[in-house]
Amino acid sequence: MSMKRLTKPTLDGICSELASHHWRDDELSELVNPKLGIITGFQELLDELEVLRRTDLGTLPPAQGVQRWEPR
Amino acid sequence: MGEELAFAPVAELARMIASREISPLELTDHFLARADRLNSKCSAFIEVTSDDARGAAAAADATPPQGPLHGIPFASKDLIDVAGVKTTAGSQVLADNCAEADAHVIARLRAAGAISLGKLNLHEFAYGATGENRCYGTPVNAYDRTCLAGGSSSGSAAAVAFGLVPAALGTDTGGSVRAPASLCGLVGLKPTFGRISTRGVVPYSWTLDHVGIISRTVEDAALLLGVIAGHDPLDPNTAREPVPDYVAEIAADKRLDGLTIGVPRRFFFDHADEEILTSTEHVLRHLERMGAIVRDVELPSMEHARTVSLTIQMPEALSFHSRYLEDRGHLYSDDFRAGLALGQCILAEHYIRAKRMVTRYRQEVDETMSSVDLLITPTTPVTAPKIGEVNVAIDGGQEAVGNAITRFTTFFNMSGQPAITVPSGMHSSGLPMGVQLVARNFEESLLLRAASAVNREEKFHVAPPNIG
Repeated sequence: MSMKRLTKPTLDGICSELASHHWRDDELSELVNPKLGIITGFQELLDELEVLRRTDLGTLPPAQGVQRWEPR
Repeated sequence: MGEELAFAPVAELARMIASREISPLELTDHFLARADRLNSKCSAFIEVTSDDARGAAAAADATPPQGPLHGIPFASKDLIDVAGVKTTAGSQVLADNCAEADAHVIARLRAAGAISLGKLNLHEFAYGATGENRCYGTPVNAYDRTCLAGGSSSGSAAAVAFGLVPAALGTDTGGSVRAPASLCGLVGLKPTFGRISTRGVVPYSWTLDHVGIISRTVEDAALLLGVIAGHDPLDPNTAREPVPDYVAEIAADKRLDGLTIGVPRRFFFDHADEEILTSTEHVLRHLERMGAIVRDVELPSMEHARTVSLTIQMPEALSFHSRYLEDRGHLYSDDFRAGLALGQCILAEHYIRAKRMVTRYRQEVDETMSSVDLLITPTTPVTAPKIGEVNVAIDGGQEAVGNAITRFTTFFNMSGQPAITVPSGMHSSGLPMGVQLVARNFEESLLLRAASAVNREEKFHVAPPNIG
């Protein structure tokens, strides 16, 4: 299933129907239709995330602390 | 003597105090006088704590040396708690936030005899690499005051570059220590993730935040790292790795015979200023003359690296700032609020996926570094941009200033390896350039030894700025 472009009503729904902070109308509009240049490309970010979501990461866990490198 | 003292390395100042050529109080007064005279020109400090500093320096005068930094002045980015002093994080949101206790790193520095002179400016809550700050002014570049010092540790870099302190602490989530240090002709160290405690530091992104050091020389970075590195039982992210004597280790062997240095040309040498690339090549040739073996290597694809970083940063930042948004949300700058709103709209699966990508990056870099001891890249693809510029022109294209400044540094906050920037000379524009060296996890000794070999070479030196 291909993703549809994110729209303002979707964000309104997320922010009113799920637990959320209060965001001004213009702040949510900026995410889907950037005009001020503060956030550019949220849709592009989501598109990239969709590519990552389809990447097979096997059983890799989320990152935690780092360890000293040891020769294998 | 005044200018010489202002631009002397920590190691030299420590020697002068030990030999009683100058007292801690005299040295503290010297830097406080400079801060008083110059801060209005560079906006480095948010608050100078003169009385506290003079009190501590007078006490140091009256006692035998307590540690390797006895009587040495320093200052810290205003995300880092100093007991009894406001931690504003560069924001009106925390304008009245007085710290009850020292951050772990401040306690360590004070225990080693260092004197805190105050709190340094930054991009609001470290969200941004330009250092522009509407509340506290924008720190300027000491080599051209129409240019940025860089950020987010903008005040830390400006304070050292203007000779207001000999060294400073910053934080680095995507290059916020290394980038401004490079743009200002300084040394900037981001140690291994977990090498230094972040307890008492206002978080931006727990997964990516590192405390770092900005100094004039690699030896000074080694000296301060030896004091502030190590396990903190109250910070679950700190490692139980032993802390070696970094200064002794870099002094022990100045040659680099047999050391293998990898050059990741793909991505890290693309779309960069020609003079910066040439200076990086000169550094590579110098390291070869010192005995190192240089060869090209491949790092993981950087295609999604910025997306992965952003997808981790913004939900983590939102999670921390939840406590302030309801009552003080109107006090945030518009750009930070927009970033937090973005964090609200990222799905949990996206966030976890990004964290798993970080695991993959770490594995892939470990694999690359199984055949080389160090990596080397330019630190930034451009010299310091003009204040107010939105984009910089590179290779016929345009790139947002903040993205450009941190393009070569961000990845190593995810992969976690220690990384340092060292000056690589002056650009024909009169602005400094830098190279970034990266070592395996917890191999700061090797990193500092190689960086020191660059730092000692005269042709890469950056003369102190003409402050006037």
